[in-house]
Amino acid sequence: MIRIGCGSAFERDRIDWPVRLADSGAVDHMAFDCLAERSMALNQLRKLEDPNAGYMQRLEKPAAGFDVRLPKIVEGFAPFVASGGTMVGNFGAANPEGAGAAVVDGLRAAGVSGVKVGVITGDDVMEQVVKQDLYLPEYDRRISEMTEKIVSANAYIGAEPVVEALRQGATFVLGGRLADPSPYVGPICFRNGWELDDWEKVGLATLAGHLLECGTHVTGGNFTDPPFNPVPDMMELGFPYAEVDDGRIVVSKTPGTGGLVSTKTVRLQIGYEIGDPAAYLTPDVTADFSQVAVRQVGEDRVEVTGASGRERPETLKVLVGLDLGWKVTVEMSYGGPGCVERAQFSAELLRARVEKALGDEILEWHTDLVGMSSLFGTAISRGYPAEVRMRVAARTASKAAAQTIFDEGDYLPISGPAAGGGRGAMTLARAIGVTPALLDRSNVPLHVEVLES
Amino acid sequence: MKLRDIAYAREGDKTDLANICLFPHDEADWPLLQEKITAEVVAAKFAPVIKGTVTRYELPNLQGLNFVLTAALAGGNSRSLRVDGTGKSYASLMLDIEI
Repeated sequence: MIRIGCGSAFERDRIDWPVRLADSGAVDHMAFDCLAERSMALNQLRKLEDPNAGYMQRLEKPAAGFDVRLPKIVEGFAPFVASGGTMVGNFGAANPEGAGAAVVDGLRAAGVSGVKVGVITGDDVMEQVVKQDLYLPEYDRRISEMTEKIVSANAYIGAEPVVEALRQGATFVLGGRLADPSPYVGPICFRNGWELDDWEKVGLATLAGHLLECGTHVTGGNFTDPPFNPVPDMMELGFPYAEVDDGRIVVSKTPGTGGLVSTKTVRLQIGYEIGDPAAYLTPDVTADFSQVAVRQVGEDRVEVTGASGRERPETLKVLVGLDLGWKVTVEMSYGGPGCVERAQFSAELLRARVEKALGDEILEWHTDLVGMSSLFGTAISRGYPAEVRMRVAARTASKAAAQTIFDEGDYLPISGPAAGGGRGAMTLARAIGVTPALLDRSNVPLHVEVLES
Repeated sequence: MKLRDIAYAREGDKTDLANICLFPHDEADWPLLQEKITAEVVAAKFAPVIKGTVTRYELPNLQGLNFVLTAALAGGNSRSLRVDGTGKSYASLMLDIEI
């Protein structure tokens, strides 16, 4: 039996709550998913970014291309690592080697020596993708038709190199684009003595990872809809962990924390980001969740059974990152009689002014009336609102064009329709596209290096 | 009544795909969901916001339905110009369906 907890659900997730789980004694392994779909491309761009290129939203200076939280994560979890706990995660993003060095430095600074740090490389498949001129189905084009836009290509990699690093004695393992459940699948299979071609067991391990990888998504987050689905004490939701054994997963959360683990929270997370429940594809397995059952077996303890799996796919999913220019948003509120008409007029006026200046430098334009139609278009309509927020979002070829739209938004309160207020924080950032492709796994050789703190 | 009175839902995204899983609060309502909430019903509700198709899957032991919506997120979260790029709010549009 292994006890494994979630340490991170995304690239900017909080650190304090999972540290509490690690220090609680409930787990001996922690796994971290630190990447969203666009993270690889963003991190690649951060590596390339000119430090003097001016302001990019939320990026004060270029980062090293790996998880910016890493020094704080190492510091926070150092006591757990020092006490023999194992950490696995995709902290490396676009720079696993740099992340490995940062972990070694961080552990030494925390006075933790002799810890073996496994570094997995090889998920960066830019060369292979260009050489094979892969087809991008969402765009119906080949790589060679979009070369100037491509900034990154990373294969989703599985638990194999994680297990290799654990076998070599590493207790801190990191890589780049490890697939979301794989930082869990590696330690679960290795510690339980399961082979990675025992598809049924790998399917079970994958379900455990799937249940935990979104953190508080399974302990009461993104769940309550008052008066439905009440959640006790949301001040601090416990981070989840699981006990994984032959044929059985028990999901629970940090002792003494708020939130809940119920058959309902577990159901929702089983169904999160899946397609056909009988064929959940990962680099490790074709997992089958279609016959899964859940049962409450204690307070905040839910047993999950019935997971299975078949042979893993021969191809790996690759996410290709595309530089699609710049994205800018402008917002302004209007209230009272005529507010909808003034908001619409304001958006049209803004567009007319910038179109005169920019012409076809505007690649895409989108207008929202927040409070009326921004989430669901015309799918729900509820009469005339008391107030409405005009929001314009545009994609442009150049940063200068985005800046022009940004500036016109600034002029709007004193040069637009009456009584527009609350201009608020406008945004200007890179527009990153991500799109999938498939690459035969024989083209993705992976490498494991073990360092020591 | 609205579907929200008897069921709960969650949305997830993968590039330009959205999926929405749906479960009854009370297992007694499972046959009703199976019968009434077809792929066609969901496609009609989501027509103003998606360009693609809707496919329905079942999770029988969990009494759950999973709907996969294609071309559903205006190109996907990172490039979409929408307010809600990942479509998390779609779970609430699902629960607005009349049953």
